[in-house]
Amino acid sequence: MTKIVTHKEGALDKYYIPALIVGLKVTLKQFYKTLFLGQSTTINYPEERREYSQRFRGEHFISVDPQKTENCTACYLCQTVCPADCITIVAGERPEDANPYGVKKEKRPVSFDIDALRCCFCGFCEEACPKDAIKLSRNYELATLNRETAVYDLDHLKREVKGRG
Amino acid sequence: MTTSEAPAKPKLTIDGQAVEFQPGDTIMKAAERARMDGTIPRFCYHPGLPVAGTCRMCTVEVEKAPKLMTACSTPAADGMVVLTQSDRVRKSRSGVMEFLLANHPLDCPVCDQAGECSLQDYNYEYGPSKSHFVEDKRVWKEATTKRLSDKLTLNMNRCIHCERCVRFTEDVTKTHELLMDNRAWRKELTTALDEGLFNDYQGNVADICPVGAITFNDFRFHKRVWFLKEKTGICDGCAKGCSIYADEEKDTVYRYRARFNKDVNDHWICDEGRVSFHTYQQADRIVQPLLTAGSTLNATSWETLVPWFTNELKKARRVLILIGTDASSEEAATIAQVLPSFSSADFVVRSWNGTGDGVRTSADDAPLDHLLRRRDQTSNTRGIEGLGIKPWNEAQDQNFDLAIYFRSGRATLPPSMAAKEIAWGVFSLAEAQRFAAVLPGLSTLEKFGTYTNCDQITQSFETVVKGLGGSASVRKILDGMKLKSNTPVREVAGDTI
Ligand code: SF4
Ligand code: SF4
Ligand code: SF4
Ligand code: SF4
Ligand code: FES
Repeated sequence: MTKIVTHKEGALDKYYIPALIVGLKVTLKQFYKTLFLGQSTTINYPEERREYSQRFRGEHFISVDPQKTENCTACYLCQTVCPADCITIVAGERPEDANPYGVKKEKRPVSFDIDALRCCFCGFCEEACPKDAIKLSRNYELATLNRETAVYDLDHLKREVKGRG
Repeated sequence: MTTSEAPAKPKLTIDGQAVEFQPGDTIMKAAERARMDGTIPRFCYHPGLPVAGTCRMCTVEVEKAPKLMTACSTPAADGMVVLTQSDRVRKSRSGVMEFLLANHPLDCPVCDQAGECSLQDYNYEYGPSKSHFVEDKRVWKEATTKRLSDKLTLNMNRCIHCERCVRFTEDVTKTHELLMDNRAWRKELTTALDEGLFNDYQGNVADICPVGAITFNDFRFHKRVWFLKEKTGICDGCAKGCSIYADEEKDTVYRYRARFNKDVNDHWICDEGRVSFHTYQQADRIVQPLLTAGSTLNATSWETLVPWFTNELKKARRVLILIGTDASSEEAATIAQVLPSFSSADFVVRSWNGTGDGVRTSADDAPLDHLLRRRDQTSNTRGIEGLGIKPWNEAQDQNFDLAIYFRSGRATLPPSMAAKEIAWGVFSLAEAQRFAAVLPGLSTLEKFGTYTNCDQITQSFETVVKGLGGSASVRKILDGMKLKSNTPVREVAGDTI
């Protein structure tokens, strides 16, 4: 059952001044609290920063091993699961002479792009990854000056970070 | 009056349904004929190979038989009652799966077979979700990534010892390159010679390997199979015209696989054909209209090129239309019939092949081995001949002021035929240098039509991907030339064709 709520316009609503005063009351209350009681709701970003949850999902990164080789094996599971279709991987074989790992890391991503403008930060990619390679860090400062830099490539993503970063 | 009754066909019952079979059939064959084989899993059985009966995955319960029987090797008998999904059967299959997986690496995320792997599918269907094995898995140090040849790579860890690959080289190619070394859990697939495999049908081994043990290098690591769309087509690599699946994603073809066709290629295709789609996706294929400007070819638009082409036809006095034997029958017929209507010049229509060291007609064609490959590497020599188009004869067909060469990428470049030559169809930049203009056309993958193969079998094929860049179909170009609707179709004199 849908309940329909209607608001009847009274005589006071016809003039905007009373409504303005009602609104200003909230502003004045916050103004008073901030100025005299020191109970501020805003912070002086970027000098001050909020503490986010450990489970906050921000910018992606791809973890690397001690030799700084990405852990990703280009299995495409993250690309498959991504609901926003923002991961594009090109897989290939690690050149035999440049592969100290043998078969363990013979398949590698030749390129790995994430379009952060499409990403909805659902974390499904992280969930799907069998190698714990792709992860979402707690970095939320993702603003860029143009669209191109919002597409992260492998070099941008590869990071030596412990845990969630 | 009595009617002579045909003797009743022998029948057996599979899962409660009566199924007719032919004498000599196994239970699996009988089920296949009735299209009821979906409930019988198999690893070692393949319809194109002799029966081995080694994997025990296909066991079924046969009434009055004390033990479970292998469907692939047990002959069907009249009145037999077969159960493919009973509890006993499912328990046995689950046991087989557990043993197979005891030493299987389960590296599906990096395994190219994942998504089309029998082991994955059957384990999902029948397998136990847990394993009793706590021991370490067997690992083949040397053979984890082993090149069997420049076309195949083996990962022995994933092998389930079904021996399809071995039987393929024994019975299909008869080259005996693969064999199993040792016994029991040390049984290892090796090549008989150090050179590895050398037959021309190696890609099929990767196709029939039920797991990801043998992979085809040209496709290895390039795509996860679940992204691909399976389209049907015909390989245009030679006069055989094998049936194929062309797997594509976003208008890029990633691989060909053999498609079963009893009359043409059975279950197999050759390696050259398997990678032939690369020709049409090469960077140097011309996909924009080109027009000569002085000594160089410059990119132009269809709006400029088509009127120029029409004008050249009008200006010419004696024109040669040379049609590659890789053109579809429809294209060849359309060009031969419609093009002469644009001008009052003399037209001569001839065909050109030139592949396989100078094949001219289907009479020069011959099989290259006991399986599929042919000397003629164009797909429609017979079809073009069927239209009555004769091959180009250098001695007789001379003195043209304009020559138009149409082909779809397989026929070779003919020697120079006229002062001004126009290329139409699929050409690479290097090949096009001597032509005055290039009208980029569609390759086999991008069009539909019919080919007639070396055994006079006419097959039609569908569009797999859309035309690359600005390439256009014959129909579209001729439409663009705006033949007035009331122009009578000019009959070209019979002797010039
Ligand atoms: S967080 Fe979600 S939307 Fe973003 S890349 Fe991962 S799977 Fe795709
Ligand atoms: S799921 Fe992990 S290993 Fe697989 S491609 Fe994505 S990042 Fe790489
Ligand atoms: S062969 Fe099949 S089960 Fe084994 S790793 Fe490959 S996909 Fe997985
Ligand atoms: S390599 Fe493949 S086809 Fe050959 S025996 Fe092993 S699993 Fe079977
Ligand atoms: S398929 Fe019958 S035993 Fe392997």
